Amino acid sequence: MNVNTVGNQFCRRLKPTLSARIRALSTIAELNKLRNTHQVDANDVLKECWGNIKDRGKAINAYISVEDKDYLQQQASEAQTRWFKGQAKSVVDGVPIAIKDNICTERMTTTCGSKMLEGFESPYDATVVKLLRDAGALIVAKCNLDQFGMGSHNVHSHFGHVKNPKNTDGHFHFSLESLPSHQRSAGGSSGGSAAAVAADLCFAALGSDTGGSVRLPASYCGIVGFKPSYGRISRRGLIAYANSLDTVGILAKDTHDAELIYDILSKYDKQDPTSMLPSMRERIEQEYADYYDKMDLDSLKGVRIGVPQEYRVKELDESIMEIWRMGIQKLQKLGATIVPISLPNTQYALPAYYILALAEASSNMARYDGMRYGHTAEKTTSDLLYADARTEGLGAEVKRRIMMGTFALSAGHYEDHFLPAQKIRRLVQTDFNNVFCMPNPLLDDAVADLSNASKVHAIITPGAISTAPLISKCIPEVDDPTQHTSVKSVDGFIDDVMTVPASLAGMPAITVPAGKSTVDGWPVGLQLLAQYGDEKTLLHVAKLFQS
Amino acid sequence: MFRCTFQYAAKTSIARGVCMRRGLHNPANGWNTVIGLEIHAQIDSQTKLFSDSLTSFNAPVNSNISVVDAAFPGVQPTLNEKCVELAVRTAIALGSTINNRSTFDRKHYFYPDLPQGYQITQHHSMYQPVSQGGELELATHDGVPEPMQVRIEQIQLEQDTGKSIHDMRPDMTLLDLNRAGSALQAGQFVKKLQALLRCVGSSNANMEEGSLRCDVNVSVHKEGDPWGTRCELKNLNSVRFLSAAIEAEIQRQIKVLENGGIIEQETRGYDVEQGKTFRLRGKETARDYRYMPETDLPSLILTQEYIDALRNNMPELPDAKRERLMQQYNLSDHDAAVLLSESNAAEYFETVCQGRPPKLVVNWTTHELFGQLASKNIPFAANPVSTDQLGSVLDLIQSGSVTGMTAKNVLKVMIDEAGGRLASEIVEERRWKKLDDKLILKEMCLQLMDKNPDKVRTTSYDVFCSSDDSLSYPILQVASIRSGNTKLATWLIGQIMGKTRGLADPVTLNKMMEQALGVKLDDLNNVSHSKGKKSKKKGQ
Repeated sequence: MNVNTVGNQFCRRLKPTLSARIRALSTIAELNKLRNTHQVDANDVLKECWGNIKDRGKAINAYISVEDKDYLQQQASEAQTRWFKGQAKSVVDGVPIAIKDNICTERMTTTCGSKMLEGFESPYDATVVKLLRDAGALIVAKCNLDQFGMGSHNVHSHFGHVKNPKNTDGHFHFSLESLPSHQRSAGGSSGGSAAAVAADLCFAALGSDTGGSVRLPASYCGIVGFKPSYGRISRRGLIAYANSLDTVGILAKDTHDAELIYDILSKYDKQDPTSMLPSMRERIEQEYADYYDKMDLDSLKGVRIGVPQEYRVKELDESIMEIWRMGIQKLQKLGATIVPISLPNTQYALPAYYILALAEASSNMARYDGMRYGHTAEKTTSDLLYADARTEGLGAEVKRRIMMGTFALSAGHYEDHFLPAQKIRRLVQTDFNNVFCMPNPLLDDAVADLSNASKVHAIITPGAISTAPLISKCIPEVDDPTQHTSVKSVDGFIDDVMTVPASLAGMPAITVPAGKSTVDGWPVGLQLLAQYGDEKTLLHVAKLFQS
Repeated sequence: MFRCTFQYAAKTSIARGVCMRRGLHNPANGWNTVIGLEIHAQIDSQTKLFSDSLTSFNAPVNSNISVVDAAFPGVQPTLNEKCVELAVRTAIALGSTINNRSTFDRKHYFYPDLPQGYQITQHHSMYQPVSQGGELELATHDGVPEPMQVRIEQIQLEQDTGKSIHDMRPDMTLLDLNRAGSALQAGQFVKKLQALLRCVGSSNANMEEGSLRCDVNVSVHKEGDPWGTRCELKNLNSVRFLSAAIEAEIQRQIKVLENGGIIEQETRGYDVEQGKTFRLRGKETARDYRYMPETDLPSLILTQEYIDALRNNMPELPDAKRERLMQQYNLSDHDAAVLLSESNAAEYFETVCQGRPPKLVVNWTTHELFGQLASKNIPFAANPVSTDQLGSVLDLIQSGSVTGMTAKNVLKVMIDEAGGRLASEIVEERRWKKLDDKLILKEMCLQLMDKNPDKVRTTSYDVFCSSDDSLSYPILQVASIRSGNTKLATWLIGQIMGKTRGLADPVTLNKMMEQALGVKLDDLNNVSHSKGKKSKKKGQ
């Protein structure tokens, strides 16, 4: 489509079809092109977005709270003034963006999808929210999620399940409540964020990714889910699930948009002690300056991409295998060299991940005692006030994870579970370091091996083992015995198998739409991985792959 | 051992230390005691260990509590550089080996004063604390009968959990090693450590105010036997009670064992009134703290350059300072000890000492100044008299322009008005300049005698005519004075002193009085002194 032509027409003659045009021009990048030539109005963008929220927001249940309309209109109108003067603050000035509800915002509540923090108003904005506000973005809503980020299908929210807005025929069906058996999972835990982007309730959304919580929903909803390297984006204000794994992630319509948001958010933050230091950022830039300069922007010539055999797990759907194969072929066509690689410790990653993540979670959840903020016990059954507050305020899945995590840290089990899991984490990292030609900047003695043909620049894997499952197949029977789902509470864990290794290694990973399943017609995403700190190569490959 | 421990959320850093355990051989009945100290000292830092300044938060709910302190969702601890520096300084002072890389971990338990539900610490043995090893030497001048080395196990940083969230301050803790010791040694050790921490600037180390807390482990065993079961003593809020509690606990354990009983591992408190320890809780309530790495905090990396820079910039430590003061200023053991007992007193002394005789300065500092401050309940830390002021007082004494009595009054004025005025100004204003005009004083002496004819009775045999013209008056009870009645002479001097409001120069006055009386008062004094000495000896 010739964007400019469409824009001109839209501006001069096609006013009545405004909504349709904005919807068609649904990426931030395209919006910016029109904005720069004054062909689109920030007020109309908000209006369109607001209309979608009113239209389908409830059915999808992507949002827990929505910003005050007057406030948004005021913000949009100020943005429009800046647009008009050619003084836009950034590419997201006046662009509606939604925030996962485990990221603190001064305006609206920050619930973590839990009863414990229902109505909780944070006294401060998370650093990422502040950066977006400073860039002029309209923070339109707070997105639904699995409580405290714990879940893979967004069925563990105090505010209800999120429904996947995509459908087989490419159209939205927002009256699916009538067909509950057809409701599909939007993925989790950032299900609300992914569904909101997929259903045009915003242009992009922030999620959080601890073991795949951004990438899995992106795969299910047919959008892009980007988890940068651990430490690239400040975690201040991201409510901790598992500190050593948590990252703020970006859900966007395409890779380019994800990159635009990433560029705004990737800043050192001294209030986050795990934020990547400026010196490290510079070092990465400088060390690969030559390589990046030579990067061919239009092809993947000279880029080696690894295909890890260990990701062919037995749970992987044949239809996903097919998409993976097609993806590999596409990369080849783009000029990439495909290299079969081995990441031998991958099989241990999932159990190690769940031990470490839940151990950290059990610790992080300790502060929710209802004393200083959050849910206060309605009933008193114990002389320990916080025991009642926690019993009532925390959801079933959270409680299960606290118990498992507590077990892993208990005397005697720490040595049997936690320590081996930490060792596995190190082995998984070593696996990746062994196959990447880029050295891991975290290791002082690592050296670049750019010309080694057996080493790769990036890795391609499936984004999930299946397309979005039915929500009814994701609810553990123990949580709703009437449904007789025979689903065990740990069954959902397997859905993270493709995504957790990158989380354990802290590497950047992105899931991009790669087609539709030939079996059920639902979207499937493929995941691209790159060395720690090497977002540049990762986004380069992802952009070309998506083109 | 000495550990620096960081305690509780946002604004808390604690250095934690583990120190000595020493065995004390009790020859009387063959019992050995083992004492362990775990000392938590709040790091003296404006900001808390892990929280940032309040101003950096967008809109604090309560301006006195940071969101980090209250463990709000989404906040992370940030390490306070100042606290780290103070911990490292403490480590250097104790000769502890500093780890270039140390890590933090979480210790879990639910408690109202622990908003996070865990304490950030470096306690867990598998992770490195800030420093390990080191020692503190106790010498006889520190109050122990025999010199001893107290080994420091480690210094760790941790959050202070001992205070409400409104008052979270950085802390330091000391634990003592498994060695035998006595209550006295433990007490002196704590005292010496306090002085060291204050000197390094890392903590106020005040037990009464809670900026230093001690948990003590005590066990007893028979010579040659393995160590006995230990009991922990908690909530001891002064060095005196610490020693008393240890002593009481040793006696209790010995008594129990000698009566055939067994010691149960438990935590005990100390009843000051009864001088006895009492059970707080037993071991059955021991918690599983579920230690795990604190992944919110990266490893603390201390480069050798950083450590060396601090090492090269250490304050003079108490023992070295003591040694130097005694040598440089020829001070007595006692004077040096008094000066070192108050923080900054030695520096104060040295400043005043510049260009002035040390003996005079030390007397005026430790006796007059300390004495006057103490009588007004002013701590030395709040001393209103500047070094310039005290110096100005001493200068007037030395130049002879005021009497000693006046000088004391000038100092009193300085303390009372706390206005920073120098001595000369005060003397000028109050007309306190010394009166040493011979003619005036003599005239006063003569007038005094005139006015007291009853005391200055003239009797024929008492009349004494001097060859000196000026002595033309009959003198009262001269014979009596001559025979040693110094009382009367003192009374006469006192009258003049009273009349001149103490401003009369005693030397000149004495001379004039001598002339007026026609006797040598010095001779009289000598007589009376020797008499006094004699009588004193008799008394002994």
